[in-house]
Amino acid sequence: MVTIAERVRHPFESRALRAMFAARKQVFVDLLRWDVPVIDGRYEVDQYDDEHAHYIILTDDEGEHLGSARLLQTIRPHILDTLFPELCDISPPARPDALEITRFCLDRRLAASERLEIRNRLVSALVDHALASSIRTYCGVAELGWLQQILAFGWRCRPLGLPRRVDGKLLGAFAIDIAADTPALLEASGLYRPEPLQAARTPELV
Amino acid sequence: MVKFERAELFLRDLAGLSSEGQLSDALAEISREMGFHHFALTHHVDVRRSARTAIRLHNYPADWAQYYDENRLGLSDPVHRASHVTSVGFTWSQIPQLIALTRRDHDILARGVDQGIGDGFTVPAHVPGESNGSCSFANPVNWPIQSDDLPLAQLVGSFAFEAARRLWRLRSPGELTGEPLTDRQRECIIWVARGKTDWEISRILGISHETVIRHLKQARERYGVTKRTMLAVHALFDGSISFFDIFRR
Repeated sequence: MVTIAERVRHPFESRALRAMFAARKQVFVDLLRWDVPVIDGRYEVDQYDDEHAHYIILTDDEGEHLGSARLLQTIRPHILDTLFPELCDISPPARPDALEITRFCLDRRLAASERLEIRNRLVSALVDHALASSIRTYCGVAELGWLQQILAFGWRCRPLGLPRRVDGKLLGAFAIDIAADTPALLEASGLYRPEPLQAARTPELV
Repeated sequence: MVKFERAELFLRDLAGLSSEGQLSDALAEISREMGFHHFALTHHVDVRRSARTAIRLHNYPADWAQYYDENRLGLSDPVHRASHVTSVGFTWSQIPQLIALTRRDHDILARGVDQGIGDGFTVPAHVPGESNGSCSFANPVNWPIQSDDLPLAQLVGSFAFEAARRLWRLRSPGELTGEPLTDRQRECIIWVARGKTDWEISRILGISHETVIRHLKQARERYGVTKRTMLAVHALFDGSISFFDIFRR
């Protein structure tokens, strides 16, 4: 199932969100050794995880996390403008219809072939969500090794600047333009996996 | 700033390409502007498909290309091997820091210098589920690499490889993905890679000995190989199974 969570008032208000923050801790802190905050020793939650962030969360039939991504508004402080402005040689998008993809996360439990399948579903959900919500551009910061995969998705991806070495990693800033034909581009690359997007019901605070 | 504008111009050119010849011309031009004499864009010996359909574009001098071909420098080429252990570009002088070089590797590199092949910069191109590839920019001996152009070369290499994939897909639709292995076939191959016999695999997976034999036979047919070792190698090579699958637990 694909859940779109918006206007999240508390990071742990739903099971899907809790599962995602725990999976993010396992991937970005335990595996990739990123220096980011951890809550309760189990959840990776930072200052951008506020009510303005959107999340796309893939879960299995039991509600376990499979993959997820966080979308930040480019008209508010986000990763590219606050942490990595030096990666942009041209002005990065800063518009209501441009969102930044961050924390693209595939669950650590997945085997190689499952990872590709979940990756494809997550990318498809990102594109379908963009089309359903009038998002025209995604942007993001990526390690260059990941770039070849991002390009191979077949969508329109362009660099925002020359790559630079930051803390030993070669990073680049990229923008992806989404249009009505983007699903067909993913389809031509053999990875389009459309499925219904469920809006998360935000439970009233008790 | 100027360099990035050059990259944008190159990417615009790529978007309008319709043939490998045009890609080759665009690469040759930007290579020169980045201070490189030559480029080579290649899939690292595509074992699943014939050499005819694998991507290979270059403007190496005839004697360099002949040297590589005569020595059958495909996967054993130290440059290619190094590009399998990193995901970002490296200069050839950095290779000893990336992989342990054998006596033969040192010999290959030394003989390359005899042929006039100097230093180069290689951008690895790893797309999961496909053979690895790379885009290299190279100079004759005594032409040092201008290191301030390498970020641009990195971008150019990555986008050029994707452009080549796209052209290649147009030429032979459907071949890129191919029929995937079934989950059971994958499981059996992972246990083959761990050195288990068919009978042992049947006990581990709780299925009959005959069923394991059938899964592995069909998987071998899929790759056109007859030996179980080659089956595991092929499945690893095209990403159907990963090293992580084999080593975990």
